[in-house]
Amino acid sequence: MEDLLLGIEALEFLKKEGFPILESRITISEETAASYAKDIGFPVTLKVSSKTIIHKTELNGVKPFLLNEKEVRSAFNELVHTFNTLGRTKDINGIIVQEMGKGLEFIVGVYVDSQFGHTIMFGQGGIYVEAIKDVSFRPIPIARKDAKEMIQELDAWKIITSPRQKRINPVMIEDFLLKISDFVETHKNVEEMDINPVFVSEKISICDARIKIGPKNK
Amino acid sequence: MYYEKLNRLFSPNAIAVIGASDSFDKLGYHVMKSLVKGNCRQPIYPVNPNAQTIWGIKAYPSIMDISDPVDLAVIVVPARRVPEALKECGKKGINGVVIITAGYKEIEGEEGKILEEEIKSIAEAFEIPIIGPNTFGFVNITDGVNASFTYEFSLIKNGGVTLISQSGGFCHLCGFLAMEERMGMAKLMSLGNRVNVDFPEAVKYFLEEDEATKVIALYIEGIENPRALFETIKSAKKKKPVIAYKAGRSEKGDAASRFHTGTLAGNYRIWKGALRQAGILEVNSSEELIDTAKVLDICPFMKESRVAVLSSQAGPGMIASDTIESLGLKLSTFSDKTQENINHLLPPFAIRTNPVDMGPAWYSPETILNILKVVAEDENTDGIIFIAIFASANLNLLADMEKIIKDMEPFNKPVIACFNAPHGVWDDNIKHIDGKKGIAIIHTPERAARAMANLYKISLSVS
Repeated sequence: MEDLLLGIEALEFLKKEGFPILESRITISEETAASYAKDIGFPVTLKVSSKTIIHKTELNGVKPFLLNEKEVRSAFNELVHTFNTLGRTKDINGIIVQEMGKGLEFIVGVYVDSQFGHTIMFGQGGIYVEAIKDVSFRPIPIARKDAKEMIQELDAWKIITSPRQKRINPVMIEDFLLKISDFVETHKNVEEMDINPVFVSEKISICDARIKIGPKNK
Repeated sequence: MYYEKLNRLFSPNAIAVIGASDSFDKLGYHVMKSLVKGNCRQPIYPVNPNAQTIWGIKAYPSIMDISDPVDLAVIVVPARRVPEALKECGKKGINGVVIITAGYKEIEGEEGKILEEEIKSIAEAFEIPIIGPNTFGFVNITDGVNASFTYEFSLIKNGGVTLISQSGGFCHLCGFLAMEERMGMAKLMSLGNRVNVDFPEAVKYFLEEDEATKVIALYIEGIENPRALFETIKSAKKKKPVIAYKAGRSEKGDAASRFHTGTLAGNYRIWKGALRQAGILEVNSSEELIDTAKVLDICPFMKESRVAVLSSQAGPGMIASDTIESLGLKLSTFSDKTQENINHLLPPFAIRTNPVDMGPAWYSPETILNILKVVAEDENTDGIIFIAIFASANLNLLADMEKIIKDMEPFNKPVIACFNAPHGVWDDNIKHIDGKKGIAIIHTPERAARAMANLYKISLSVS
């Protein structure tokens, strides 16, 4: 049995494995969304939660930078309206209220290559990952030296080390990549994974992820 | 046991050529030519049931008819006759076989694949390591054994570079470039279809067993289990510089993937990362492979990345400096003492700081070499690019430098030189200086700078 974890499920799974994720809660009511947003603290992002929709942004399924309760309520209703109009309400199992991510957006991925087996990818994240193609790969497991070099190989290294960018400690990213490598070593049934975006500032937080899990005995 | 057999394969005491021939249109003719004209000192046994002598040497109907022991058999008979020939090699107690014959798994249809499986199982039964099938063979420059169908490889200079290739064509390209660029080689080979000697086996042998090999260069198109190669290098008992040229650079990822990672996971992207992870330096052209391997063979490692450029003409020196900096190396700042010494040697008619314009001294080989000497002793410099370009007025420069260099102490820092002149002018002097005292001569300032940058990268990972 193959399983695809998206949205809140993927985030919960990674949280259980000890990865830092942006605080996220799911609901189907406007009222609860407003109260979750207050709990989490503004600004927040609202996004649709779905088992079938992979690219939420293209369908206007993400509402970022919501500064107060009023904006949260109106964003909630807009999302409901949008997906009603698209006739895709059945694809939605709720609305996620999420802490707003801060910092640079990166992608951390896992892929099983037919020759190399499990590999790890690091790169510039967000919705333009495949347009920018600023990525580096290594076979898993990686050592700290590999993690360091993966980061330095990116064009984004210039941004990370820019004098105007003082908050990012590359060692923190290295630690994160090493942790992913270790995680895959003990979860060989992870067949493919996109952690995208993961926000990096003075801390690292996973904003979204999708994970393909293969048969256990693999 | 396995590596002892590889030892006998690559450095055989006697060689049989199964399918040897006197007719030019047979590969068996060319293999004989390589051995005979390549001055192989070991006994050669042509095997051919239809001839009394081949290349003037007594021929045998079968390898079984040779009474003395034979280490290596080179097989050039048609594909269908190879299994029988291989069986006879096994019975004869041959230590290693080269199968030049093609027509196995690389061709369309089932017959080739079946034949290759047969070869594989015979080799397994008799425990015979095989180079090939579908290879031009191998050349052992160190011991003068040319077990290939191209005699001209015997003209390659003896040295420390071993090329292990997945393509015979690439070996020919690089072999001829090596001659042109005076690169010294220990061995070169194409592994062909890799029936039981694959990259891991070959690399392990040349890392651990072959003293003559100082640098390993790989040409890789695609292999089934790359991790095995990297593990071999990681666990090898000896560290030597390994460089690789990876061909087949498709960026195409997994078209079926709905993930960003899968879509971007092009085979070459992963290879690039994997090579770096394994401490293998990737090169991006045949020239870069030759230049880098040559410099690694001749020059000592670098401690840091500070480079001095000494040029008899300002322009080429500037090009070298530009390339140095664009590749992440630094131009060194000489110590006060070094600068004082240079100022002493050079009149103030040109730039005397790094990059040094030695123009005012270009009639004086003593002065030029004295500058080289003081910069080689400079505590702030880790490598030197040393340039002299021909002009009619400096006709004798290189001949004079050659005389002086002969009595100099070897340099303990890399000196990469560019000496350029029309054909026939400095050729002999270039030939005599190249590779001596730690001086490697590279064709252009840009290529010299790139080779220096690669030397630095390898210095970080190997030393």
